[in-house]
Amino acid sequence: MTTMTVKDEDPYGHGVGGWLSHVGEVVFGIPDTYRRELKLHRRRTIALTVLVVLLVIYPILNKAFLAAFSRNVFPLPLPDDTVVTFMMIFGIMAIGLNIVAGFAGLLDLGYVAFYALGAYTAAFLASSHWDSISVVFLANVTPGFPGIHLPFWIIVPMALLVAATFGALLGAPTLRLRGDYLAIVTLGFGEIVPVVFRNLSDVTFNFSLGPITLAAQHLNLTGGSLGINPIDAPFLPFANITFDASSGYAPVYLGMFLLVIAILIARNLERSRIGRAWMAIREDELAAEMMGVNTVRTKLLAFALGASFAGVAGSLQASYLGATTSDFFTFSTSILVLIMVILGGIGNIWGVLLGAVALVYVDKTFLPYVGQELQQVAPGLPNPAQFNFLFFGLILVGMMRFRPEGFLPNRQRAAELAGAHTQAEIEAKVDEVVAVDAVAEVEAAIEADPSIALDNLGPPPGQAEASGDARAPETIDEEREL
Amino acid sequence: MSLGEPGGQPAANTLVPPAAAGGDGMLVRSRGVTKRFGGLVAVNNVDFDIPRGSIVSLIGPNGAGKTTFFNMITGFYTPTDGEIVFDGQPIVFKKRNRLRSLRPHEVAGLGIGRTFQNIRLFGTMTALDNVRLGANIHLKSHWWDAALRTPGMLREEAENREAAMDLLRLVNLEDRAHAWARSLPYGDQRRLEIARALATRPKLLLLDEPTAGMNASETRDMTSFIRKLRAELNLTVLLIEHDMRVVMGISDRVTVLDYGTVIAEGTPDEVRRNPKVIEAYLGRGAADT
Repeated sequence: MTTMTVKDEDPYGHGVGGWLSHVGEVVFGIPDTYRRELKLHRRRTIALTVLVVLLVIYPILNKAFLAAFSRNVFPLPLPDDTVVTFMMIFGIMAIGLNIVAGFAGLLDLGYVAFYALGAYTAAFLASSHWDSISVVFLANVTPGFPGIHLPFWIIVPMALLVAATFGALLGAPTLRLRGDYLAIVTLGFGEIVPVVFRNLSDVTFNFSLGPITLAAQHLNLTGGSLGINPIDAPFLPFANITFDASSGYAPVYLGMFLLVIAILIARNLERSRIGRAWMAIREDELAAEMMGVNTVRTKLLAFALGASFAGVAGSLQASYLGATTSDFFTFSTSILVLIMVILGGIGNIWGVLLGAVALVYVDKTFLPYVGQELQQVAPGLPNPAQFNFLFFGLILVGMMRFRPEGFLPNRQRAAELAGAHTQAEIEAKVDEVVAVDAVAEVEAAIEADPSIALDNLGPPPGQAEASGDARAPETIDEEREL
Repeated sequence: MSLGEPGGQPAANTLVPPAAAGGDGMLVRSRGVTKRFGGLVAVNNVDFDIPRGSIVSLIGPNGAGKTTFFNMITGFYTPTDGEIVFDGQPIVFKKRNRLRSLRPHEVAGLGIGRTFQNIRLFGTMTALDNVRLGANIHLKSHWWDAALRTPGMLREEAENREAAMDLLRLVNLEDRAHAWARSLPYGDQRRLEIARALATRPKLLLLDEPTAGMNASETRDMTSFIRKLRAELNLTVLLIEHDMRVVMGISDRVTVLDYGTVIAEGTPDEVRRNPKVIEAYLGRGAADT
């Protein structure tokens, strides 16, 4: 086009410096974005702000006031720090499974396997399990202490890599399978991994290949059914904070930190070419392939990336609890995470997060509370906490009947986003709504990108013809119906 | 806008060996293409060439093997026998003594874009995202770029978005950019599908019954739109179509398939007068009109 203008400056920059300055811009742009949102959707923004602030300071509130109130004045079903930490752990998992099941539309029934892999990665690399050697590196342990002791901050990326590798290894041969078959394979994998961890406690083998001989006598690889404990708790040097089950709300904020990173990455992936490719595969795999999407590779990427979230969640869980056994990683955990995703709104990050928080709350706080109260009223009744999956099943059935798209469906987001994708469009919309300095805004926009003005003056010569060819969509449509 | 490379005129250039240059002006060259499904021979020994820059139609009664042939060009089916060369690149090749075909996404990467007989848009993606997806093969950013939103990725996304908006403008859908594909009226969906195919920057555009289900005025619009595409974007177009007015009005060459074999090939006028064609196809069609 002849209207191309000389761009005075590349707005994005290059390399790490460019990235950092971009991140800086986004971070410093938050107040402006917030103000704009406040103008556009006043009520919603205020409500969300209050909600987020309450959630973030909840552990502190709980410690300072609510817990004592509940204990002394009136018993309330309030989640304690452990429960909130588990909300964060399951939130990370739900976001990961949402990539596989929600974005790419692949049913994964063995997601717990990657959770287990993450947990055992933490157990192997931060405990006294390998007591014949001593590797202590930047850990909160005296040097020379038996076992491998790496800091949590190194274990997280390791767990991520291990889980992603196994995700890719499982996916590579199986992702050519369609729908149901893939679900069956993942189901199998989800059963195999915990069983392997449970049974590799007494390994004896003698394996020789030419000059190389590998042999082991009664080697305890995985700790068997006892699992591995104790595992080092995450430790923040300098600040001297330990994040374990007895350190109050510190681990909640560690979980929140990892969760926020998980949300950001999942959201960024969703809004990229990869996210579009996943959605296209979910909608119509054949058409996506015909449009040049390498479906096998794209699905593999979904699988590996989704798995890595579970790896991180697993390493956090193991480090936080200080122990891991294969009992944590049963099929029901896979199903629990899947229910979180479906209930919350498959495909919507905030939805699945809500699903995770709600289910962990019901499972670990609400049902035990109801059980306790029931016990006082009618001691003979069974404890509902033991029937948690019965309740999840009922909730799921009710949900499918009345709101199959979940609490916060993905569609709504799409509709909401419609019409406001770029800064310019958002600004345009603000002007429309608030009508402040409209002229100045437009002038600024034209100054930034003169092609806008030319576009607005009328169609360029080439497009005049196109509009001549044009249809009148609604009328033609009506015509056909007649 | 430059999409694809400028299609050379089908000049007689005998000095360049056809196989090496990929063209004596032929963009697609197929020889002896056969496809059997069990005992049924859907396509039988078809030789079919598409000159660069032309609009070529493939017609024939229902079940003549047109769509099967289409699906072999796009890599969806592997032929039982024969060879297909696109722009000097074999789409069908022998590997360990077995006939193999490029995968559909690889064929798309070579420069073949297509639409579908029964529209296959990504219904709950916006019109804009449908078109942006078409350009996916041309985007270089990796998943880690996407996860971190690196400057290179953002630049590429912005360019892709602009290019997609240009394409939407070309098909007159720029004001519906943020509407869901499935919420669009039928004619808009047809044009959106073409825009999505164009986003793959094809050299060859395959249109599978682009005017199916359209009324007379919509059909006229679509016909002139296809002509305009060829002229402005230097495209080569292969058309499967049932509407004889469209076929005869738009095509440079017409090939007629019946029971999987080519029974006629030539300019629309030649084909129209061919007695075999009249017998197999136009006879019935002409009797109706």
